[in-house]
Amino acid sequence: MGKTIIEKILAKAAGKSEVSPGEYVEAKPTARFVLLGTDMGPRMPAAFKSMGWDKLWNPKKLILAPEHCGSYTRVGAEFTNRQSHVTTVQWARKLGVPDENILELGRIGNCHHIAVEKGWALPGSVYLSGPDGHSITVGGVGCFGSCLSAGATSFMRSGWTWFRVPESIKFNITGKLRDGIMGRDVYEYILGQIGPAGAIYQVMEMVGPVIDEMSIDGRLSMACLAMFTGAKTMMVNPDQKVIDWFKARTNEPFEPQVSDPDAKYIKTYTFDGSKIEPQVVIPPHRHIVKNVSETVGVPVTNAFIGSCASGRDEDMIMAARILKGRKVHPKVMFNITPGSSAAMQRMSEQGVLATLIEAGVFICAPGCGMCPGFYTPLAENEVCITSSTTNYPGRMGDESAQVYLGSPATVAASAIEGKITDPRKYL
Amino acid sequence: MALKFKGKVWVFGDNLDVDNELFPFRKGDSGEIKPSEFGQWVMTNVDPDFPRKAKKGDIVMTGTNMGCGHDHAEAIKGFLQLGISMVISESFNRNWLRNAIYLGLPIVEYPGIKKMVKEGDVLEVDLHTGEIKNITSKQTIKFTPLPEFLLDILEAKGIDRYTDNQVKAGKI
Repeated sequence: MGKTIIEKILAKAAGKSEVSPGEYVEAKPTARFVLLGTDMGPRMPAAFKSMGWDKLWNPKKLILAPEHCGSYTRVGAEFTNRQSHVTTVQWARKLGVPDENILELGRIGNCHHIAVEKGWALPGSVYLSGPDGHSITVGGVGCFGSCLSAGATSFMRSGWTWFRVPESIKFNITGKLRDGIMGRDVYEYILGQIGPAGAIYQVMEMVGPVIDEMSIDGRLSMACLAMFTGAKTMMVNPDQKVIDWFKARTNEPFEPQVSDPDAKYIKTYTFDGSKIEPQVVIPPHRHIVKNVSETVGVPVTNAFIGSCASGRDEDMIMAARILKGRKVHPKVMFNITPGSSAAMQRMSEQGVLATLIEAGVFICAPGCGMCPGFYTPLAENEVCITSSTTNYPGRMGDESAQVYLGSPATVAASAIEGKITDPRKYL
Repeated sequence: MALKFKGKVWVFGDNLDVDNELFPFRKGDSGEIKPSEFGQWVMTNVDPDFPRKAKKGDIVMTGTNMGCGHDHAEAIKGFLQLGISMVISESFNRNWLRNAIYLGLPIVEYPGIKKMVKEGDVLEVDLHTGEIKNITSKQTIKFTPLPEFLLDILEAKGIDRYTDNQVKAGKI
Protein backbone atom coordinates (compact mmCIF):
# COMPACT_ATOMS: atom_id res chain seq x y z
CA MET A 1 0.00 0.00 0.00
CA GLY A 2 1.36 3.40 -0.99
CA LYS A 3 1.80 6.25 1.45
CA THR A 4 0.89 9.94 1.39
CA ILE A 5 3.47 12.68 1.77
CA ILE A 6 2.38 13.42 5.35
CA GLU A 7 2.61 9.74 6.34
CA LYS A 8 6.14 9.58 4.94
CA ILE A 9 7.27 12.75 6.72
CA LEU A 10 5.83 11.69 10.09
CA ALA A 11 7.23 8.15 9.80
CA LYS A 12 10.68 9.62 9.28
CA ALA A 13 10.29 12.03 12.22
CA ALA A 14 9.15 9.17 14.46
CA GLY A 15 11.99 6.90 13.33
CA LYS A 16 9.53 4.26 12.07
CA SER A 17 9.39 2.45 8.76
CA GLU A 18 5.75 3.46 8.30
CA VAL A 19 2.82 5.07 10.12
CA SER A 20 -0.93 5.02 9.48
CA PRO A 21 -3.77 7.52 10.01
CA GLY A 22 -5.13 7.64 13.54
CA GLU A 23 -1.84 6.51 15.07
CA TYR A 24 -0.17 8.68 17.71
CA VAL A 25 3.63 8.73 17.43
CA GLU A 26 6.37 10.06 19.66
CA ALA A 27 9.07 12.07 17.95
CA LYS A 28 12.37 13.74 18.67
CA PRO A 29 12.78 15.91 15.59
CA THR A 30 16.37 16.91 15.08
CA ALA A 31 15.81 20.06 13.04
CA ARG A 32 15.82 23.52 14.54
CA PHE A 33 13.14 25.01 16.76
CA VAL A 34 12.12 28.58 16.10
CA LEU A 35 10.88 30.60 19.05
CA LEU A 36 8.71 33.35 17.70
CA GLY A 37 7.83 36.63 19.27
CA THR A 38 10.66 37.46 21.65
CA ASP A 39 9.03 40.89 21.65
CA MET A 40 5.70 39.51 22.87
CA GLY A 41 6.42 39.12 26.57
CA PRO A 42 9.42 37.36 28.18
CA ARG A 43 7.37 34.17 28.55
CA MET A 44 10.14 31.60 28.12
CA PRO A 45 12.52 32.96 30.77
CA ALA A 46 9.56 33.20 33.17
CA ALA A 47 8.33 29.71 32.33
CA PHE A 48 11.78 28.14 32.77
CA LYS A 49 12.22 30.00 36.05
CA SER A 50 8.91 28.82 37.43
CA MET A 51 9.79 25.21 36.55
CA GLY A 52 13.29 25.59 38.02
CA TRP A 53 14.87 24.54 34.70
CA ASP A 54 18.25 25.93 33.68
CA LYS A 55 19.09 23.84 30.65
CA LEU A 56 17.93 23.70 27.03
CA TRP A 57 17.55 20.46 25.09
CA ASN A 58 19.97 21.76 22.46
CA PRO A 59 20.93 25.48 22.45
CA LYS A 60 22.40 25.20 18.93
CA LYS A 61 18.99 24.23 17.53
CA LEU A 62 17.10 27.13 19.07
CA ILE A 63 16.47 30.25 16.99
CA LEU A 64 15.01 33.40 18.50
CA ALA A 65 13.37 36.24 16.60
CA PRO A 66 11.45 39.40 17.44
CA GLU A 67 8.57 38.72 15.11
CA HIS A 68 4.87 39.50 14.75
CA CYS A 69 5.23 43.14 15.73
CA GLY A 70 7.98 44.24 13.35
CA SER A 71 9.10 46.94 15.74
CA TYR A 72 9.58 47.87 19.36
CA THR A 73 7.05 50.64 19.85
CA ARG A 74 5.35 50.61 23.18
CA VAL A 75 6.87 51.05 26.62
CA GLY A 76 5.23 48.95 29.29
CA ALA A 77 2.94 47.05 26.91
CA GLU A 78 3.25 43.28 26.78
CA PHE A 79 3.69 43.24 22.99
CA THR A 80 6.07 45.25 20.76
CA ASN A 81 8.26 45.46 23.80
CA ARG A 82 12.03 45.97 23.50
CA GLN A 83 12.54 44.95 27.12
CA SER A 84 10.82 41.65 26.45
CA HIS A 85 13.20 40.90 23.56
CA VAL A 86 16.26 41.94 25.58
CA THR A 87 15.27 39.85 28.61
CA THR A 88 14.58 36.79 26.44
CA VAL A 89 17.82 37.12 24.49
CA GLN A 90 19.94 37.57 27.64
CA TRP A 91 18.38 34.43 29.09
CA ALA A 92 19.00 32.47 25.87
CA ARG A 93 22.64 33.56 25.62
CA LYS A 94 23.21 32.44 29.20
CA LEU A 95 21.87 28.99 28.29
CA GLY A 96 24.27 28.73 25.36
CA VAL A 97 22.26 29.85 22.32
CA PRO A 98 24.88 31.08 19.81
CA ASP A 99 24.79 34.64 18.46
CA GLU A 100 24.05 33.54 14.90
CA ASN A 101 20.75 32.01 16.13
CA ILE A 102 19.51 35.29 17.58
CA LEU A 103 17.91 37.45 14.92
CA GLU A 104 17.30 41.17 15.05
CA LEU A 105 14.96 43.64 13.33
CA GLY A 106 16.14 44.53 9.84
CA ARG A 107 17.11 40.93 9.07
CA ILE A 108 13.81 39.15 9.62
CA GLY A 109 10.07 39.80 9.16
CA ASN A 110 7.11 37.47 9.53
CA CYS A 111 8.59 34.12 10.64
CA HIS A 112 6.55 31.96 8.26
CA HIS A 113 8.02 33.94 5.36
CA ILE A 114 11.50 33.67 6.87
CA ALA A 115 11.24 29.89 7.36
CA VAL A 116 11.00 29.45 3.60
CA GLU A 117 13.23 32.37 2.63
CA LYS A 118 16.13 31.18 4.76
CA GLY A 119 15.64 27.55 3.77
CA TRP A 120 14.76 26.30 7.29
CA ALA A 121 11.50 24.59 6.36
CA LEU A 122 13.10 21.88 4.26
CA PRO A 123 10.85 19.77 2.00
CA GLY A 124 10.33 16.36 3.59
CA SER A 125 11.10 17.56 7.13
CA VAL A 126 9.18 18.61 10.23
CA TYR A 127 9.46 22.32 11.01
CA LEU A 128 8.60 23.27 14.59
CA SER A 129 7.91 26.68 16.01
CA GLY A 130 6.55 28.19 19.21
CA PRO A 131 3.14 29.81 19.32
CA ASP A 132 1.35 30.38 16.00
CA GLY A 133 -0.82 27.91 14.14
CA HIS A 134 0.15 29.43 10.81
CA SER A 135 3.40 27.46 11.01
CA ILE A 136 1.52 25.16 8.63
CA THR A 137 2.27 27.68 5.86
CA VAL A 138 5.35 25.64 4.97
CA GLY A 139 3.10 22.81 3.73
CA GLY A 140 3.20 24.81 0.50
CA VAL A 141 6.76 23.56 -0.03
CA GLY A 142 6.13 19.99 1.15
CA CYS A 143 7.32 20.52 4.72
CA PHE A 144 5.16 19.64 7.75
CA GLY A 145 4.96 22.73 9.97
CA SER A 146 3.68 22.51 13.51
CA CYS A 147 3.44 25.01 16.31
CA LEU A 148 3.90 23.64 19.81
CA SER A 149 1.92 26.44 21.51
CA ALA A 150 1.36 25.53 25.15
CA GLY A 151 3.92 22.74 24.74
CA ALA A 152 6.77 24.96 23.58
CA THR A 153 8.44 25.36 26.98
CA SER A 154 8.62 21.65 27.57
CA PHE A 155 9.91 20.96 24.08
CA MET A 156 12.75 23.41 24.60
CA ARG A 157 13.75 21.43 27.70
CA SER A 158 13.16 17.89 26.39
CA GLY A 159 13.33 17.93 22.56
CA TRP A 160 10.41 15.46 22.68
CA THR A 161 6.97 15.82 21.18
CA TRP A 162 4.18 13.77 19.61
CA PHE A 163 1.99 13.76 16.54
CA ARG A 164 -1.29 12.19 15.49
CA VAL A 165 -1.07 10.87 11.96
CA PRO A 166 -3.88 12.42 9.90
CA GLU A 167 -5.95 11.10 7.02
CA SER A 168 -5.58 12.91 3.70
CA ILE A 169 -8.08 14.37 1.24
CA LYS A 170 -6.96 14.95 -2.33
CA PHE A 171 -7.99 18.19 -4.06
CA ASN A 172 -7.49 18.04 -7.79
CA ILE A 173 -7.65 21.53 -9.29
CA THR A 174 -8.04 21.25 -13.04
CA GLY A 175 -7.96 23.78 -15.86
CA LYS A 176 -6.15 27.12 -15.66
CA LEU A 177 -6.71 30.12 -13.39
CA ARG A 178 -7.82 33.26 -15.17
CA ASP A 179 -5.81 36.46 -14.92
CA GLY A 180 -6.31 38.16 -11.55
CA ILE A 181 -7.21 34.91 -9.74
CA MET A 182 -4.67 34.07 -7.05
CA GLY A 183 -3.80 31.14 -4.75
CA ARG A 184 -5.85 32.91 -2.10
CA ASP A 185 -9.00 32.68 -4.26
CA VAL A 186 -8.42 28.95 -4.80
CA TYR A 187 -8.30 28.31 -1.03
CA GLU A 188 -11.37 30.44 -0.21
CA TYR A 189 -13.26 28.82 -3.09
CA ILE A 190 -12.57 25.36 -1.61
CA LEU A 191 -13.61 26.63 1.85
CA GLY A 192 -16.88 27.84 0.32
CA GLN A 193 -17.44 24.40 -1.23
CA ILE A 194 -16.55 22.13 1.71
CA GLY A 195 -17.20 24.43 4.70
CA PRO A 196 -15.31 25.04 7.96
CA ALA A 197 -15.59 21.38 8.97
CA GLY A 198 -14.80 19.98 5.53
CA ALA A 199 -11.39 18.56 6.41
CA ILE A 200 -11.35 18.15 10.20
CA TYR A 201 -7.96 16.93 11.40
CA GLN A 202 -7.17 15.90 7.83
CA VAL A 203 -4.51 16.97 5.39
CA MET A 204 -5.59 18.85 2.28
CA GLU A 205 -3.27 17.53 -0.42
CA MET A 206 -3.32 19.77 -3.47
CA VAL A 207 -2.69 18.38 -6.95
CA GLY A 208 -3.57 19.09 -10.58
CA PRO A 209 -2.54 21.46 -13.37
CA VAL A 210 -3.48 24.62 -11.46
CA ILE A 211 -1.22 23.65 -8.55
CA ASP A 212 1.61 22.55 -10.88
CA GLU A 213 1.55 25.93 -12.53
CA MET A 214 1.10 27.93 -9.32
CA SER A 215 4.05 29.91 -7.92
CA ILE A 216 5.65 29.02 -4.59
CA ASP A 217 4.17 32.27 -3.23
CA GLY A 218 0.66 31.18 -4.23
CA ARG A 219 1.10 27.72 -2.69
CA LEU A 220 2.33 29.20 0.61
CA SER A 221 -0.59 31.60 0.70
CA MET A 222 -3.07 28.71 0.38
CA ALA A 223 -1.31 26.45 2.89
CA CYS A 224 -1.25 29.23 5.49
CA LEU A 225 -5.05 29.13 5.68
CA ALA A 226 -5.66 25.37 5.82
CA MET A 227 -6.84 25.50 9.45
CA PHE A 228 -10.02 27.34 8.46
CA THR A 229 -11.35 24.23 6.71
CA GLY A 230 -10.61 22.36 9.96
CA ALA A 231 -7.49 20.81 8.41
CA LYS A 232 -4.34 19.85 10.27
CA THR A 233 -2.33 21.24 7.40
CA MET A 234 -2.16 21.50 3.63
CA MET A 235 0.49 19.70 1.62
CA VAL A 236 1.79 20.41 -1.86
CA ASN A 237 4.12 17.72 -3.22
CA PRO A 238 7.42 19.50 -3.87
CA ASP A 239 8.38 19.77 -7.54
CA GLN A 240 11.61 20.84 -9.24
CA LYS A 241 10.75 24.52 -8.70
CA VAL A 242 10.68 23.94 -4.90
CA ILE A 243 13.82 21.81 -4.87
CA ASP A 244 15.74 24.46 -6.85
CA TRP A 245 14.51 27.13 -4.43
CA PHE A 246 15.95 25.33 -1.40
CA LYS A 247 19.17 24.29 -3.14
CA ALA A 248 19.80 27.97 -3.83
CA ARG A 249 19.30 28.85 -0.15
CA THR A 250 20.84 26.17 2.00
CA ASN A 251 23.66 23.66 2.05
CA GLU A 252 21.74 21.44 4.43
CA PRO A 253 20.85 18.07 2.93
CA PHE A 254 17.15 17.29 2.56
CA GLU A 255 15.01 14.45 1.28
CA PRO A 256 11.83 15.71 -0.39
CA GLN A 257 8.88 13.33 -0.02
CA VAL A 258 5.98 12.91 -2.43
CA SER A 259 2.82 10.81 -2.22
CA ASP A 260 2.85 7.41 -3.88
CA PRO A 261 0.47 6.96 -6.84
CA ASP A 262 -1.43 4.28 -4.87
CA ALA A 263 -1.55 6.22 -1.57
CA LYS A 264 -4.86 6.10 0.27
CA TYR A 265 -7.14 9.16 0.45
CA ILE A 266 -10.43 9.19 2.29
CA LYS A 267 -11.93 11.48 -0.34
CA THR A 268 -11.03 13.15 -3.63
CA TYR A 269 -12.51 16.43 -4.80
CA THR A 270 -12.09 17.80 -8.31
CA PHE A 271 -12.68 21.50 -8.94
CA ASP A 272 -12.37 23.35 -12.23
CA GLY A 273 -9.89 26.17 -11.61
CA SER A 274 -10.95 27.96 -14.81
CA LYS A 275 -14.31 28.74 -13.17
CA ILE A 276 -12.96 30.28 -9.96
CA GLU A 277 -13.88 33.97 -9.47
CA PRO A 278 -12.28 36.37 -6.98
CA GLN A 279 -13.56 35.26 -3.56
CA VAL A 280 -14.57 37.39 -0.55
CA VAL A 281 -15.17 36.15 3.03
CA ILE A 282 -17.93 38.04 4.88
CA PRO A 283 -17.61 38.95 8.61
CA PRO A 284 -17.97 37.98 11.37
CA HIS A 285 -17.45 34.31 10.46
CA ARG A 286 -14.45 32.83 8.70
CA HIS A 287 -16.41 30.52 6.42
CA ILE A 288 -19.08 32.59 4.64
CA VAL A 289 -17.53 32.86 1.18
CA LYS A 290 -19.03 34.73 -1.81
CA ASN A 291 -18.00 35.55 -5.35
CA VAL A 292 -16.73 39.13 -5.39
CA SER A 293 -19.72 40.15 -7.55
CA GLU A 294 -22.03 39.58 -4.55
CA THR A 295 -20.08 41.98 -2.35
CA VAL A 296 -19.13 44.69 -4.84
CA GLY A 297 -19.93 48.15 -3.46
CA VAL A 298 -19.50 47.50 0.28
CA PRO A 299 -17.74 50.69 1.51
CA VAL A 300 -14.32 50.19 3.15
CA THR A 301 -12.23 52.52 5.31
CA ASN A 302 -9.08 50.39 5.52
CA ALA A 303 -7.18 47.99 3.30
CA PHE A 304 -4.30 45.70 4.21
CA ILE A 305 -1.94 43.35 2.37
CA GLY A 306 0.51 41.43 4.55
CA SER A 307 0.80 38.75 7.29
CA CYS A 308 1.75 35.10 6.69
CA ALA A 309 -1.22 34.79 4.29
CA SER A 310 0.12 37.43 1.89
CA GLY A 311 2.91 40.03 1.61
CA ARG A 312 5.02 37.89 -0.72
CA ASP A 313 6.62 39.13 -3.94
CA GLU A 314 3.74 38.00 -6.13
CA ASP A 315 1.22 39.86 -3.93
CA MET A 316 3.23 43.08 -4.00
CA ILE A 317 3.74 42.91 -7.75
CA MET A 318 -0.01 42.38 -8.22
CA ALA A 319 -0.81 45.36 -5.96
CA ALA A 320 1.66 47.55 -7.88
CA ARG A 321 0.21 46.41 -11.22
CA ILE A 322 -3.26 47.53 -10.10
CA LEU A 323 -2.14 50.76 -8.39
CA LYS A 324 0.31 51.93 -11.08
CA GLY A 325 -0.64 55.48 -12.06
CA ARG A 326 -3.66 55.40 -9.70
CA LYS A 327 -4.32 56.67 -6.15
CA VAL A 328 -5.67 55.10 -2.99
CA HIS A 329 -9.19 56.46 -2.30
CA PRO A 330 -8.98 59.59 -0.10
CA LYS A 331 -11.09 57.97 2.64
CA VAL A 332 -9.01 54.77 2.78
CA MET A 333 -5.92 53.95 4.87
CA PHE A 334 -4.07 51.27 2.90
CA ASN A 335 -1.35 49.45 4.85
CA ILE A 336 1.01 47.17 2.92
CA THR A 337 3.45 45.19 5.06
CA PRO A 338 6.22 43.26 3.30
CA GLY A 339 6.65 39.74 4.65
CA SER A 340 10.34 40.21 5.31
CA SER A 341 13.21 42.66 5.02
CA ALA A 342 14.46 40.69 2.01
CA ALA A 343 11.05 40.98 0.33
CA MET A 344 11.13 44.74 0.96
CA GLN A 345 14.56 44.93 -0.65
CA ARG A 346 13.28 43.13 -3.75
CA MET A 347 10.26 45.48 -3.86
CA SER A 348 12.67 48.37 -3.82
CA GLU A 349 14.88 46.93 -6.58
CA GLN A 350 11.88 46.19 -8.80
CA GLY A 351 10.34 49.64 -8.40
CA VAL A 352 7.28 48.14 -6.68
CA LEU A 353 7.88 50.16 -3.53
CA ALA A 354 7.96 53.48 -5.40
CA THR A 355 4.72 52.68 -7.25
CA LEU A 356 2.92 51.85 -4.01
CA ILE A 357 4.21 54.89 -2.13
CA GLU A 358 3.27 57.15 -5.02
CA ALA A 359 -0.26 55.74 -4.91
CA GLY A 360 -0.55 56.74 -1.25
CA VAL A 361 0.02 53.37 0.45
CA PHE A 362 1.38 53.30 4.01
CA ILE A 363 4.36 50.90 3.98
CA CYS A 364 4.75 49.21 7.35
CA ALA A 365 7.84 47.54 8.87
CA PRO A 366 8.20 43.85 7.85
CA GLY A 367 6.26 41.59 10.23
CA CYS A 368 2.60 40.74 10.77
CA GLY A 369 1.33 44.30 10.23
CA MET A 370 -2.38 44.85 10.87
CA CYS A 371 -3.34 41.17 11.05
CA PRO A 372 -3.28 40.75 14.86
CA GLY A 373 -4.19 44.40 15.44
CA PHE A 374 -0.66 45.50 16.40
CA TYR A 375 -0.10 48.11 13.70
CA THR A 376 -2.71 50.71 12.59
CA PRO A 377 -5.51 48.85 14.41
CA LEU A 378 -9.11 49.40 13.29
CA ALA A 379 -11.24 51.96 15.14
CA GLU A 380 -14.92 51.62 16.08
CA ASN A 381 -17.17 50.46 13.23
CA GLU A 382 -14.44 50.70 10.59
CA VAL A 383 -14.53 48.30 7.66
CA CYS A 384 -11.39 46.64 6.30
CA ILE A 385 -10.72 44.55 3.20
CA THR A 386 -7.62 42.44 3.67
CA SER A 387 -5.63 39.48 2.40
CA SER A 388 -4.48 38.62 5.95
CA THR A 389 -5.55 35.51 7.87
CA THR A 390 -8.88 35.90 9.63
CA ASN A 391 -11.79 38.13 10.57
CA TYR A 392 -13.37 37.38 13.96
CA PRO A 393 -14.57 40.42 15.94
CA GLY A 394 -11.63 42.28 17.43
CA ARG A 395 -8.98 40.49 15.39
CA MET A 396 -7.63 43.65 13.77
CA GLY A 397 -8.68 46.21 16.37
CA ASP A 398 -11.99 47.30 17.85
CA GLU A 399 -14.60 44.54 18.29
CA SER A 400 -17.17 46.58 16.33
CA ALA A 401 -14.93 46.81 13.23
CA GLN A 402 -15.73 44.52 10.29
CA VAL A 403 -13.13 42.56 8.33
CA TYR A 404 -13.72 41.25 4.79
CA LEU A 405 -11.11 38.88 3.36
CA GLY A 406 -10.02 38.67 -0.27
CA SER A 407 -6.97 38.27 -2.51
CA PRO A 408 -4.26 40.95 -2.68
CA ALA A 409 -5.68 41.88 -6.11
CA THR A 410 -9.17 42.40 -4.65
CA VAL A 411 -7.72 44.41 -1.74
CA ALA A 412 -5.74 46.72 -4.05
CA ALA A 413 -8.70 47.35 -6.39
CA SER A 414 -11.03 47.99 -3.43
CA ALA A 415 -8.55 50.48 -1.94
CA ILE A 416 -8.71 52.55 -5.14
CA GLU A 417 -12.52 52.77 -5.13
CA GLY A 418 -13.14 52.89 -1.37
CA LYS A 419 -15.53 49.96 -1.75
CA ILE A 420 -15.21 46.25 -2.51
CA THR A 421 -14.28 45.97 -6.18
CA ASP A 422 -13.69 43.20 -8.72
CA PRO A 423 -9.95 43.50 -9.43
CA ARG A 424 -10.24 42.30 -13.02
CA LYS A 425 -11.43 45.71 -14.21
CA TYR A 426 -7.97 47.09 -13.38
CA LEU A 427 -5.95 44.37 -15.12
CA MET B 1 -5.70 5.31 38.56
CA ALA B 2 -7.01 8.80 38.14
CA LEU B 3 -8.62 10.27 35.02
CA LYS B 4 -12.08 9.15 36.11
CA PHE B 5 -14.72 11.86 36.15
CA LYS B 6 -18.39 12.18 37.07
CA GLY B 7 -20.27 15.33 36.16
CA LYS B 8 -23.29 17.03 34.68
CA VAL B 9 -23.21 17.85 30.96
CA TRP B 10 -23.47 21.23 29.24
CA VAL B 11 -24.06 20.96 25.48
CA PHE B 12 -22.76 23.39 22.83
CA GLY B 13 -22.60 23.48 19.02
CA ASP B 14 -20.19 22.89 16.13
CA ASN B 15 -17.18 24.88 14.87
CA LEU B 16 -16.57 26.79 18.11
CA ASP B 17 -13.67 29.15 17.35
CA VAL B 18 -11.14 29.67 20.17
CA ASP B 19 -11.19 33.41 19.47
CA ASN B 20 -14.90 33.98 18.97
CA GLU B 21 -17.42 31.54 20.44
CA LEU B 22 -15.06 30.11 23.08
CA PHE B 23 -13.37 33.32 24.17
CA PRO B 24 -13.40 37.04 23.28
CA PHE B 25 -9.95 37.34 21.66
CA ARG B 26 -9.53 41.12 21.71
CA LYS B 27 -10.40 41.51 25.39
CA GLY B 28 -7.77 38.92 26.31
CA ASP B 29 -5.15 40.16 23.87
CA SER B 30 -5.49 43.77 25.03
CA GLY B 31 -5.16 42.80 28.69
CA GLU B 32 -8.73 43.92 29.47
CA ILE B 33 -9.27 40.38 30.74
CA LYS B 34 -6.40 39.21 32.96
CA PRO B 35 -5.18 35.61 32.76
CA SER B 36 -6.58 34.97 36.24
CA GLU B 37 -10.05 35.92 34.94
CA PHE B 38 -10.20 33.69 31.83
CA GLY B 39 -12.71 31.43 33.62
CA GLN B 40 -15.16 34.30 33.98
CA TRP B 41 -15.23 34.79 30.20
CA VAL B 42 -15.02 31.33 28.67
CA MET B 43 -18.12 30.57 26.50
CA THR B 44 -19.73 33.94 27.32
CA ASN B 45 -20.03 34.83 23.63
CA VAL B 46 -22.41 31.85 23.34
CA ASP B 47 -23.96 31.82 26.83
CA PRO B 48 -23.21 34.90 28.95
CA ASP B 49 -24.25 33.07 32.14
CA PHE B 50 -22.12 29.96 31.61
CA PRO B 51 -19.32 30.81 34.09
CA ARG B 52 -21.92 31.41 36.84
CA LYS B 53 -23.98 28.32 36.06
CA ALA B 54 -21.11 25.85 35.61
CA LYS B 55 -20.17 23.88 38.73
CA LYS B 56 -16.84 22.32 39.57
CA GLY B 57 -16.67 18.86 38.02
CA ASP B 58 -19.17 19.59 35.22
CA ILE B 59 -18.52 18.21 31.73
CA VAL B 60 -18.64 20.29 28.55
CA MET B 61 -19.86 18.57 25.38
CA THR B 62 -19.50 20.11 21.91
CA GLY B 63 -20.02 19.18 18.28
CA THR B 64 -17.60 18.86 15.40
CA ASN B 65 -14.37 20.84 14.82
CA MET B 66 -14.09 21.86 18.47
CA GLY B 67 -11.63 24.71 19.10
CA CYS B 68 -11.18 25.68 15.47
CA GLY B 69 -9.18 28.69 14.29
CA HIS B 70 -5.91 29.74 15.85
CA ASP B 71 -3.82 27.94 18.47
CA HIS B 72 -4.86 30.25 21.31
CA ALA B 73 -5.36 28.57 24.68
CA GLU B 74 -7.36 31.11 26.73
CA ALA B 75 -10.55 29.02 26.61
CA ILE B 76 -8.73 25.90 27.84
CA LYS B 77 -7.26 27.85 30.74
CA GLY B 78 -10.75 29.26 31.40
CA PHE B 79 -12.34 25.79 31.55
CA LEU B 80 -9.62 24.64 33.96
CA GLN B 81 -10.17 27.69 36.18
CA LEU B 82 -13.89 26.95 36.36
CA GLY B 83 -13.11 23.39 37.38
CA ILE B 84 -14.67 21.84 34.25
CA SER B 85 -13.54 18.23 34.58
CA MET B 86 -13.35 17.37 30.88
CA VAL B 87 -14.54 18.17 27.35
CA ILE B 88 -16.19 15.62 25.03
CA SER B 89 -16.54 16.54 21.35
CA GLU B 90 -17.69 14.96 18.11
CA SER B 91 -14.30 15.96 16.64
CA PHE B 92 -11.36 18.23 17.44
CA ASN B 93 -9.40 20.84 15.61
CA ARG B 94 -5.71 19.95 15.82
CA ASN B 95 -4.61 23.02 17.81
CA TRP B 96 -7.34 22.32 20.36
CA LEU B 97 -6.23 18.70 20.79
CA ARG B 98 -2.60 19.68 21.31
CA ASN B 99 -3.22 22.56 23.70
CA ALA B 100 -5.80 20.67 25.78
CA ILE B 101 -3.35 17.82 26.36
CA TYR B 102 -0.44 20.19 26.95
CA LEU B 103 -2.40 22.10 29.60
CA GLY B 104 -3.90 19.01 31.21
CA LEU B 105 -7.58 19.38 30.21
CA PRO B 106 -8.92 15.84 29.69
CA ILE B 107 -10.67 15.40 26.33
CA VAL B 108 -12.55 12.63 24.55
CA GLU B 109 -13.39 12.54 20.87
CA TYR B 110 -16.49 10.53 19.94
CA PRO B 111 -18.32 11.10 16.64
CA GLY B 112 -22.07 10.84 17.24
CA ILE B 113 -21.95 11.56 20.99
CA LYS B 114 -24.45 14.41 20.74
CA LYS B 115 -27.15 11.98 19.65
CA MET B 116 -26.56 9.89 22.78
CA VAL B 117 -26.24 12.53 25.51
CA LYS B 118 -28.53 15.43 26.41
CA GLU B 119 -27.84 18.58 28.40
CA GLY B 120 -28.17 17.89 32.11
CA ASP B 121 -27.34 14.17 31.80
CA VAL B 122 -24.84 12.91 34.36
CA LEU B 123 -21.88 11.01 32.89
CA GLU B 124 -19.19 8.89 34.44
CA VAL B 125 -16.11 8.79 32.20
CA ASP B 126 -12.96 6.70 32.52
CA LEU B 127 -10.18 7.81 30.16
CA HIS B 128 -8.09 4.70 30.83
CA THR B 129 -10.73 2.06 30.13
CA GLY B 130 -12.42 4.14 27.42
CA GLU B 131 -15.89 4.07 28.89
CA ILE B 132 -18.64 6.69 29.14
CA LYS B 133 -21.52 5.67 31.42
CA ASN B 134 -24.60 7.82 31.00
CA ILE B 135 -26.05 7.56 34.50
CA THR B 136 -29.22 9.39 33.41
CA SER B 137 -30.06 7.22 30.39
CA LYS B 138 -28.33 4.08 31.73
CA GLN B 139 -26.39 3.73 28.47
CA THR B 140 -22.72 2.78 28.18
CA ILE B 141 -20.50 4.05 25.35
CA LYS B 142 -17.07 2.61 24.56
CA PHE B 143 -14.31 4.69 22.99
CA THR B 144 -10.67 4.12 22.07
CA PRO B 145 -8.50 5.57 24.87
CA LEU B 146 -5.63 7.92 24.07
CA PRO B 147 -2.21 6.25 24.03
CA GLU B 148 -0.52 5.75 27.40
CA PHE B 149 2.01 8.57 26.95
CA LEU B 150 -0.73 11.15 26.41
CA LEU B 151 -2.73 9.85 29.40
CA ASP B 152 0.50 10.24 31.42
CA ILE B 153 0.61 13.93 30.41
CA LEU B 154 -3.02 14.38 31.51
CA GLU B 155 -2.31 12.56 34.80
CA ALA B 156 0.58 14.95 35.43
CA LYS B 157 -1.91 17.81 34.82
CA GLY B 158 0.02 19.09 31.83
CA ILE B 159 3.15 18.77 29.74
CA ASP B 160 5.35 21.02 31.89
CA ARG B 161 4.83 18.95 35.04
CA TYR B 162 5.17 15.77 32.98
CA THR B 163 8.51 17.00 31.62
CA ASP B 164 9.57 18.12 35.09
CA ASN B 165 8.88 14.62 36.46
CA GLN B 166 11.19 13.26 33.78
CA VAL B 167 13.85 15.86 34.56
CA LYS B 168 13.68 14.98 38.29
CA ALA B 169 13.87 11.28 37.45
CA GLY B 170 17.06 11.97 35.51
CA LYS B 171 15.52 10.80 32.23
CA ILE B 172 16.21 14.09 30.43
